[in-house]
This record gives sequence, structure tokens and C-alpha cells, in this order.
Amino acid sequence: MKHEEWKKISRIMSKRSLWMVHFCTGCGAMEMPPVMTSRYDMERFGIFAMATPRQADVFLVTGYLAVKTLKRVVQVYEQMRDPKYVIGFGSCTINGGMYWDSYNTIKDLSKYIPVDVYIAGCMPRPEAIIDSFLKLMDMIDKGEAIGWQKYRKYYDQYKRNQKMAFEYRLDEVKPIKEDDKNES
Amino acid sequence: MLTEVLVSLLAGVFLVLALNKYPRVAGVVAFIISLLPFMAVLAWAGTMGITVPSYLKFFTLETSLTYNLGPGVIHLAITPLGWFFLMLLASVFPLTVMFANSFVKRNAGGFYAAMLLTMFGSFGLLLSQDILSFFIFWEIMSWSIFALVLRGHDRRAIVSYLAFGSLSAMLILFGFMMLYYKTNTFLFADMHLTATPLTLAALSLLVAGFAVKGALMPMHAWAPHAYSRSEEPFVAFLSGGLSKLGFFGIILFMYGVVGMSVISSWGTFRGVPWFGYALAVIGAFTAFAGTVLAVMQDDLRKLLAYSSIGQLGYIAIGIGIGTPLAMTGALFQALNHTFFKAVLFLAAGAVFYRTGKWKISELGGLGYKMPFTFLAALFAIFALAAIPITSGFAAKWLLYEAAIQKKFLFVTPIMLIAGVGAFLYAFKILYGVFLGEPRYDVKEAPLSQLIPMWLLVLPLVIFLVIPGWFVDITAPILRGYGMQPIQHTLFSINTGLATYNTLAVIFGMLGGLLVAFILYKWKKQEVVPHIDNYLAGEPPELYEHIGMHASSKYFEPFDEVFGPIFKKGAERGWEIVLSAAEILGTGARKIYTGIVGDYSIYVLLFFIILVGWWLLW
Amino acid sequence: MVMEIVDILEKILILAGMVTLGFAIGMLFNGIARKVSARIQNRVGPPVYQGFIDVFKLFGKKTNISHGWIFDLAALFSVSGIALAFLFLPVAGYSMLSTDGDLFLILYLLAIPALGFALGAGASGNPNAAVGVMRALMSMLAYELPLVMVMVAMMVYYNTTSLANIVAAQANMQWAFFIPIFFIGALVADMALQGMLMEKPFDIPIAPHEIATGPMVEFGGKHLGALMLYKMMGTVVETTLFVDLFLGGGVVLSVAQYGWLAYLVNFAVWFVLILIVFLIAVMIDNVLPRFRIEQALKFYWKYDALIAIFILIWIFAGVKI
Repeated sequence: MKHEEWKKISRIMSKRSLWMVHFCTGCGAMEMPPVMTSRYDMERFGIFAMATPRQADVFLVTGYLAVKTLKRVVQVYEQMRDPKYVIGFGSCTINGGMYWDSYNTIKDLSKYIPVDVYIAGCMPRPEAIIDSFLKLMDMIDKGEAIGWQKYRKYYDQYKRNQKMAFEYRLDEVKPIKEDDKNES
Repeated sequence: MLTEVLVSLLAGVFLVLALNKYPRVAGVVAFIISLLPFMAVLAWAGTMGITVPSYLKFFTLETSLTYNLGPGVIHLAITPLGWFFLMLLASVFPLTVMFANSFVKRNAGGFYAAMLLTMFGSFGLLLSQDILSFFIFWEIMSWSIFALVLRGHDRRAIVSYLAFGSLSAMLILFGFMMLYYKTNTFLFADMHLTATPLTLAALSLLVAGFAVKGALMPMHAWAPHAYSRSEEPFVAFLSGGLSKLGFFGIILFMYGVVGMSVISSWGTFRGVPWFGYALAVIGAFTAFAGTVLAVMQDDLRKLLAYSSIGQLGYIAIGIGIGTPLAMTGALFQALNHTFFKAVLFLAAGAVFYRTGKWKISELGGLGYKMPFTFLAALFAIFALAAIPITSGFAAKWLLYEAAIQKKFLFVTPIMLIAGVGAFLYAFKILYGVFLGEPRYDVKEAPLSQLIPMWLLVLPLVIFLVIPGWFVDITAPILRGYGMQPIQHTLFSINTGLATYNTLAVIFGMLGGLLVAFILYKWKKQEVVPHIDNYLAGEPPELYEHIGMHASSKYFEPFDEVFGPIFKKGAERGWEIVLSAAEILGTGARKIYTGIVGDYSIYVLLFFIILVGWWLLW
Repeated sequence: MVMEIVDILEKILILAGMVTLGFAIGMLFNGIARKVSARIQNRVGPPVYQGFIDVFKLFGKKTNISHGWIFDLAALFSVSGIALAFLFLPVAGYSMLSTDGDLFLILYLLAIPALGFALGAGASGNPNAAVGVMRALMSMLAYELPLVMVMVAMMVYYNTTSLANIVAAQANMQWAFFIPIFFIGALVADMALQGMLMEKPFDIPIAPHEIATGPMVEFGGKHLGALMLYKMMGTVVETTLFVDLFLGGGVVLSVAQYGWLAYLVNFAVWFVLILIVFLIAVMIDNVLPRFRIEQALKFYWKYDALIAIFILIWIFAGVKI
């Protein structure tokens, strides 16, 4: 078989087996139990909650992130093995949500670690969560979920932003400047 | 030539004593002299039916020799049993002396002298053919061990060794006196014993006396202290080599002097003589209790000491069952234990040499710093846990088979569960000392310590591949006791119950490893330091005070369950004996009042009894 | 000479095929177990081939993080050791290497992957892994006692230690399961099997919610893939051991009489039997909480071993010397 076909099979396999580590910081974690259990049952898509970041493929950040929690999020993200995907859960990860004017809450998660899929809402319903996973699977299949490559490529920018945040200089955090073309 | 070997061993003692001021020179001299017994083993190999290439034969030795020393005659001769045990001792001995060269710093000449004297005693003991010379050499060996235990400067070890050593000597002496009273001869060959209660008493006393050296429960109380408070090269020789002399004595007197037919005529239980059955049960209890106690220890040396007690219990089981299968298993276990326990004690010594720590909870992470020590210890641990990629498995397997063959329904599960217990303390050593958090930045052990360890690993590999050769080596011993050697080819053993083919295991394992390796090397990997696990990227300075190595109180639930039952059980028993002896002693002490009048009354009473006896008789 | 080499090659091919089959069945069982658990919990559950997908994905991960060569030994020893243990079992009456070894060998071969795994877990240096290994070794000590007691009783009863001979003695449907005393023995051994398979209430070593999957905590990517293979194959090996001991290895037709048809039927029966044994364990797993380690030890050594001692006494009284 050709290299491309192997890659395709490998993508199908990794999209059907997404092992997840969920970082329960905010209130959004409340929505996870229904998603895992009988009512919505995410295991039918091959999604399985794992205990440690070393074993996981998907990182689910559920809710707002204080600067102190961001430190841990970055550590967990860096411990995960490539390819790895991040789902930002709820409005707080998109623009700070109801903590938009807080002095120690980060506003946009994608400035610190690359986020593949966002779920809007405060809080999102379990259907929305499952929909986001399906979207992620679709992206993996098409080769669009390349957040982990971006993190390697723009490592300096991400590190700089993280450093700024850790020093509470949140206004100096800049959006990640991307080149025109991304390799898939 | 035999005289020259003995004399040069003895002369070596004084030579190294004289060289006390130059420890390195004394070490080299001691090493050269310590090779003599091994050369003797090679020289005698021909008479045991083993062909040795001529360049390994350094001299020829007569097979028997008699010294007429006026009052007594010393008969020395090489027997298959003596040769086998001499082989074990003589192969460990030079390597421990070599290890000592870098390890023993203080009063090295004295150390080598005592070691050589111990070997001299053992050498004579294994050759002696009469009870007089046996006892003399036994005492030489015992007292030179005492000299070495003294060097540990630990009161408990010294006192317990002295007490049990004397007890052992007394028991053996009484046994010999009974044997002499019965047969009126010193020579083993001339003792044609019959099944009388006196023989039974003599044999029981002898076995109890030898059990002290073999550390069988309840005679083991000295071993944990003496093993854990002496210098490592000596302990490696004591545990690896000298402890086998107890079993040499038991086999010699049970099967050689008294004989199977006499033992059987005291009655059998389910096809096994009562005497042997009792020994097997004691052995099984020792194996289990030793293992459980080993799991609870935190001191590396104490753990190894209790593990040694447990492993020696298996030999007693084999001797007790007494079938050809069991005897082969017991001898095989003796061989394995000699080598793997010597490696483990030497590895512990090497770890101490580099880190200066004995406690498992204070060590950790040495596997990457001392990889060769780690690998040797790993292999020895595989042999100890009877993993089938070392020869350790074949010995245990033979013993299990023998027990099943004789339908030992209750002893076999105990043996098996003791084997599982061995995994527990084996992993405690591995994890606590070699794996986990790297705590010490040390170098690999010096070459003079690594070479002995790796040479001692060698037999474990050889007899893994060709267990059939081992059966051939021990065949003369079994034939001497009227047993038929078990059915075997070079690579497989057939017990009638099942077959064990090492080639299938080895090639299966190699094939599996190959496939796993290919599967494994398919993807690249990167190595990440340990600190990343513990701290997940936090600055290490923040966490300096936290120990990340979870090895202190490692088997805490185990201690909670078994601790109340087993801890100090045997020692408490001996303490009761001790206090009883103390009460008796204080009572007897009252006779000596110090008043002259009382003593004259005693003398008068004595004469009255004597005269009365004479009149009445 | 050429014929001999061809013979050996043929044997190696058959063995490799059987091991592959074993791994495949193990992966399938993983999926079935998850599906059955899901149905018990009124969920849909993943597809039955989920095990294949998971393992393939793990081996396809881009970065693999190791902690040194001792850590790597875990993957090598666990996969090769469990495959070796499988080779020494008679499968559906078909003996691969089982005439070259016996029950004791299998018991000790099962320790190779376990110790290798423990070695890797210890080398990872994570305290959770060390605690997990401690629990695994303790539960091994716990369940082995009743198990070996029943095994010893069977060995004495059949007067052989070879598993192939025990299976042969149970031919013509004279399964040990139908002998009253060994029916009790089967129940005792099934309890031990629950611990061996690390299903609840004896999933103490893994305990994802307490110690983050214990020994596996630092494993990921291909390392975890190898360990998954070990665990999946382990279910096949352990259930096959149970079926060989008590259910005649699944042999219903004699090969001498029916030829290749017998192999086919026997393999099908064997597969159904190990599936049933496995599903019983999975179902118990789904309705019980977890023991603490000393509770598990006390359970096995007090109650399970007590029944096993009764069996031993029964055999002790009944066997002629």
C-alpha cells in the first residue's frame, strides 16, 4: 500500500478512537456525566475518558481558566502525545464569557494552546458537545485538525503568550501570527 | 598432592595475616590461594565422570588420604556428594575474595585470613570420612565464621551466632557420641546402623544441629542478624556457600550414614517416611515464613537474609521427600541459591560501596546509574523468583513435581504461594533500589566488583539451557544412595508427570522478543527525564522537600495483614526459652553459696551417694 | 534434512498464526466486554471491533515518550511473555507447545509479562505506578492461593501436572466441571479468575479513579499499545486456562474420529466457552464496587481458600497412595 493510504487508514482509526482527558476547571464539567452515561453515551463513537494525559488524544477544557489553572493546562497539554486535539468548551474559553473583565482570567484560550474546535454556549448542552466531537472527527478525517502541528510550528509565540499570562501581563498577549500556508 | 593443597590453604592464612599492612597485596595473595579449592574441584572432576580439558587440570589429586595423628586417625576422601558441594563453595569463594579486594578496607589481612580458614574448614569437612575429622573441621569452619561475624561489631549478631553456633556444635557432638556408642567406630563406612530409637535420636540431634547452619526454622534466629551485620563479600559466601554445608550434613547422615531403608522402617506416612515428611513440612513452613518476613523488611541485607532462609527451606523440602526427583530438585536449588544469592549480596555490597546506604527506602533510581550491577541483580532476581528465563525455574519445578508425585496436597500450595511471595520482595528490591526516582549521582561499581557478579550469573544461564547436564552431574550422588537418576535428555527433563523442555521455552521467548522488538522499533521515541513525571514542568526547587519515591512502607497493607502473625514469632519463642534458661540458671547459681561448710556438705553427700550406689549395685 | 526444516518452518508458521489469532480474539473480547457493559448500563456502547481500532491508533501515535531502556523492557517482556504463555496452553485440545511444559510452567510464564510490566512501571518513576504495582503483586498473592490449591487438587486427582494430559483425561465430555467436588473447585477458581482478569471487585491495581490506572499511568502511544495487547491476550490466556482445567478445553469431538471437522467444532466450542467465562466476569464487574487491597486479601485467604481447603481434604481422604 502507498503511504497516502496508510495515512488515510490511520486517520480513520484515530478518529474512531478518541481518548479524552477532561480538565474540570469550570462549571462546564457538570455537563460531562450525562454525556458519558446512558442518556447520551459518547462511548458509541469510541470516545472514552482516560485518567492521565499520557494516554489521551483529546483535551477538553471545560470552562474558564484563571492564570494559575492555565499553567496546569499547558503542562497537561505538553504531556500529551502527538497527534493531540483540543476542544474549548463554553464561552469562557472563547472570549472569557461572564469573566470577560476579570483581572486574572484568560480570555482567549487559542492564544496559549491551539484549539481545534470551540463549543459556544453557557453552558453548551450535551448534544452540542457530541456535535463538537463529530465535527472534530470530520476534521481529523479531512486532515484539518492540525492544532498540534501549529503548536510545534509557532512554539515561540505560544510560549511568549504563556509567559506574559503567567506574569499577569494579559494586555501584552498577542494573537498567533500564522504564515499563509499550513502543511497538513 | 592433597596434603600440599591443605597445607597451602593453611599457610595462606598466616601469609595474609603477615601482609595485614598491605591490604591490596593481601587481597591478591588471598585471591590466588582461594583458587586452589576450585583447581582441586577440576582435578577431581574426572573421577565424577565429567571430562575436563587437560589445560584446566592444574595438578592431579589422590582420591583418598589418611593421616595418622597418634590419638586419632583422619580419613579424607572425595565422594560425589562432597565434590558437588565443594564445587559450589569453591566457585563462589574466589569471587567473593576478589570482590573483597575493593570492598574491605579495615583490617583486610584479618578478613582474608578468616575467610581462608573458613574455606580450609569447609574443604576438610567435605572430604572427611569419619566423625572425628568431621567434627574438627566443622568447628574450624564455625569458629572462623564467628571471627568474621565479630568484625560486624553488632552485639545481637555476635551473641546470637555464638549461642546458636554452640548449640549446633553441642547437638552434633551428642549425635556423634550416640553414633559412636552404638557402632564403636569413627568411620562412616563402617557404621551399619539399624532402626533403633537411639539411631533416631542421634539422627534427630544431627539434623537439628545442621539445621542451624542451614537456617531452618526455628533454628534460623541467628541468621538475619549475622547476615545483615557482616561485610558483604563474607555474607555472600556465608549465604551462598556455607549455608549449604548444613544441607550437606543432613544429606550425608540421612541418606549416606543412616540410609533410606532404616529411615523408612520407622514408619511411613502416605508413602514418605515420617522423618522425611516432618523435614519437608518444616522446610515448607520455613519457605513460607521466610518469604513473608522478607517482604516486611526495609533493610536490604535483612530482606536478603530472610529471602535466603525462605529459599533454603525449599532444599529441606526436597531432602525430606527423598525421591530421586526431589533430591535432584534439592541439589539444583542448592546450586541456584548459591549463585543467585551470592550475586544479590554482592550487588547489595556494590550499591552500599557507591551510596553508603542500606535502607531500601533511602535508595532508588540506581538502575540507570549502575546498569551492569542492575542487570546482574535483575538476572539473579529472575532466578530467585523462578522465572523460566533462568535456571531458577527448573529447580523449583523439580521440587513441585516431586511433591505432586508423592501427593503432598498441603505442602505444594504452601511452596507455590511462597514462590509468589518471592515476586513481592523481588520487586521491592528492584523498585526500591534500582528503579524510580534517581536520588544519587554515582558511578558504576568498580570492575573488581562487577566481574565476580557477572561470573556468578554465568551458571544460571548455562543450566537454564542444559538442565540435563545438571542431572548428569548429580547422577553419581543419587546412585550412591541407591536411587535411579531421573529421565532426561540434555535439554529436557521428563518426570513421568510432565515434561519440561527448555528449548521450547527459550526459542519461544526469543521469537516473542523478536516480534515484540520489531513491533516496538516500528515507531521512533524520545526519552524524557523523570523529573518531568513528578513535577509536570514545575520548577524542581519548589518540590525539593517532597520524596517522590514511594518505596518506604512499600507493602504496607501486607504488613497490616501478616505483621501481627509473623513478626518476631520465632524470636519470641527463643526469648521464652532464654528466660526459662535464665530462671534455671539463677536457681542453679544458688548452690554456689561461697561458704566452705556448704561445699564440704556437698562433697560428703556425693561420697555417700557414691558409696550407697556401690553397696546397692 | 530439507523435510525437517520444512517441518520446523510449518510449525513456526502455525504457532505464529495461533498467536495472531489469540491477539485478535483478545481485541475482539475487549470490544465485546465494552459492548456488554454498555448494554447492562442501558447504553448503546462502542462497536465490537473497538479494540482493534484502539490498538491500531495507539501504535499509530506520532510521538512516543520513553523514560529509558528499562521502561522499554516493559513493552517487550509483556507482549512476548504473554504470547509464550499462550503457546504452552492446549487450545481446544490442540497442543501447540503444551507437551513441552506443564501447569507450573504456565503459572510462572504468566509472571514474565507481569514482572516485565512492573519493571517498566517502576522505571517510569511515577509514584502512582509504584502503588499500582504493589497492589497488583498483593492481589496476585491473594488470588493465587485458592487457585493453586484447586490446581494441586486437580493435579493429584488426575495424577499428572501436564495441562495437555488433564485435557485429555476429560475427553468424551467427562469434564471436571461435572464432578461435584470440582464443580465447587470451578467456583473457587472462578473467583480467582475475577482477580486474575482484574475485574471488579478486584480491579484494585488499575483503579482509574484512585491512582490513575496505576501501573499504566505513564504509558502512552506504542508503549500503551503493547500493554493493551498484553492485557487483551491475558484475558484469552486466563479464560483458556480455566476452560482447559474445568471444561475439558472445549473438546467435544475426538480428532482421531472426525478429523478436521473435529478441529473446527472444537475451536468453535472453545471460543464460546471462553466467551461465556469471560462474560460472567464482565457481568460481575458491572454490578460490584471495588475492594480495598487488604479486603481482597482477606476475602481470598479466608473464604475462597477455606472452600479450597475443603476440596484438598476431600481429595486427601479419597486418593489412594
